[in-house]
Amino acid sequence: MKRQPLNLVFALALVMATSAISTAWGATDASDPQRQVRWRELQQDLFGNRPIAPGAHLIQIEAPARAMDAALVPITLRVPQPAGVKAVHLVIDENPAPYAAKVIFGPAGDPRKLSLRVRVNDYTHVHAVVEMEDGTLYQTSTFVKAAGGCSAPAGASDDDALQGAGQMRLRLHRDAQAAEATLMIRHPNFNGMQMNQITRMFTPARYLKEIKVTQGGRLVFDMTSDISLSADPVIGFGIDASAPGELAVQATDTQGQQWSQAFPAPGGAP
Amino acid sequence: MKAALATLALLLPLQCVAAEPTVAPEPPGLWSGPMVSDTPATLQGAQVIDVAGLLRLMPHRPLLIDVGPADRRPDGLPASTVWRPVHRTIPGAHWFPGAGRADLPPAQVEALLQRIGTLTQGQREAPVVVFCKPRCWGSWNAAKRLVQAGYSGVHWFPQGVHGWQEQHETAAVDAESGWNDAPATPP
Repeated sequence: MKRQPLNLVFALALVMATSAISTAWGATDASDPQRQVRWRELQQDLFGNRPIAPGAHLIQIEAPARAMDAALVPITLRVPQPAGVKAVHLVIDENPAPYAAKVIFGPAGDPRKLSLRVRVNDYTHVHAVVEMEDGTLYQTSTFVKAAGGCSAPAGASDDDALQGAGQMRLRLHRDAQAAEATLMIRHPNFNGMQMNQITRMFTPARYLKEIKVTQGGRLVFDMTSDISLSADPVIGFGIDASAPGELAVQATDTQGQQWSQAFPAPGGAP
Repeated sequence: MKAALATLALLLPLQCVAAEPTVAPEPPGLWSGPMVSDTPATLQGAQVIDVAGLLRLMPHRPLLIDVGPADRRPDGLPASTVWRPVHRTIPGAHWFPGAGRADLPPAQVEALLQRIGTLTQGQREAPVVVFCKPRCWGSWNAAKRLVQAGYSGVHWFPQGVHGWQEQHETAAVDAESGWNDAPATPP
């Protein structure tokens, strides 16, 4: 780890040496050294000196290469080998608050598939990191072309947007291999970057910071989210349909307001 | 290159369908209404250019002026949140965040014009390109200011960074040194 600063210096030198090349009409191909430096800095901010190995076989990201709506970019994280997985982390490199979500899985959780919708501020690398129970980290990334998703004005007035916050719906889908739930929570998830154009005031940040789901009292997942999560969060996750007990959801926003709701057991049993 | 531009032409309408439904009339002076809204198709005294126009201009080494606002740490953001704003722009551009506000304090207008005077080495006919992003009146206003200050080679590039990065890489920049971002809210 002592070599880290040297690596940084080298990377910076590389940036300077190649800046002439990157200005020469090269199409956006995400190989810009500045973007590599950015990820290295974020890695340091979020994971300290812990090494993160390349792990495309352990964690995969599905995201549109070009998103139609930068305020609603669908992202799916897949973990093909769920044994020993503790958590997944989602980082949107160029967003001003890049740490979009951290999802810790519990004994009733299924890390194989997790989907959510995010805001993307500018063309960016999106990194997914899988954290194993032994503490090791593996990452993969993709490049998403979308811009303006963070400052996109909210549709309604602030008060109207908060009407009905915390209302939830849960939908179940099942096939031969697995059962999946889609959780929808109403919340404007104000990110603090949306300006009221008449008053020129920014709506202060207020968003869901934690969404926790249990099944029969056992943890499915506990998600810590940030302002990158889109308004009215929609989260898709795997569940064990044969396990007993109702699904309970608890959502908490940054004002400390909390909403809870229970849904019938997926298998139909009480 | 032709193929790339053709692809761009195909992609742009898709991108802009929602963004540019109508065209606003050109105001007589600086625009002080909503800064993110439909902009005019023209700017008297300046040339309006698209990406192809900018590419044609590039060999003349125009002064590139980005007036896009800087992201400020939102009120209500928990202290623990990792906040690391970055501004990416057309490589080589000088970034004057918020310089397109109609209510820019006179001292800042003066500082802006002085700095641009230095960057153009006092040549009023030097090619200058002003931009931020689509539906951004800030770039229209800043270009207007330069026209009013006597610059004859002003180009307004309304597609801005969004249009550029469709096909070209951007670069992360710091705000022009000594330039203080205009306050986000009226005092």
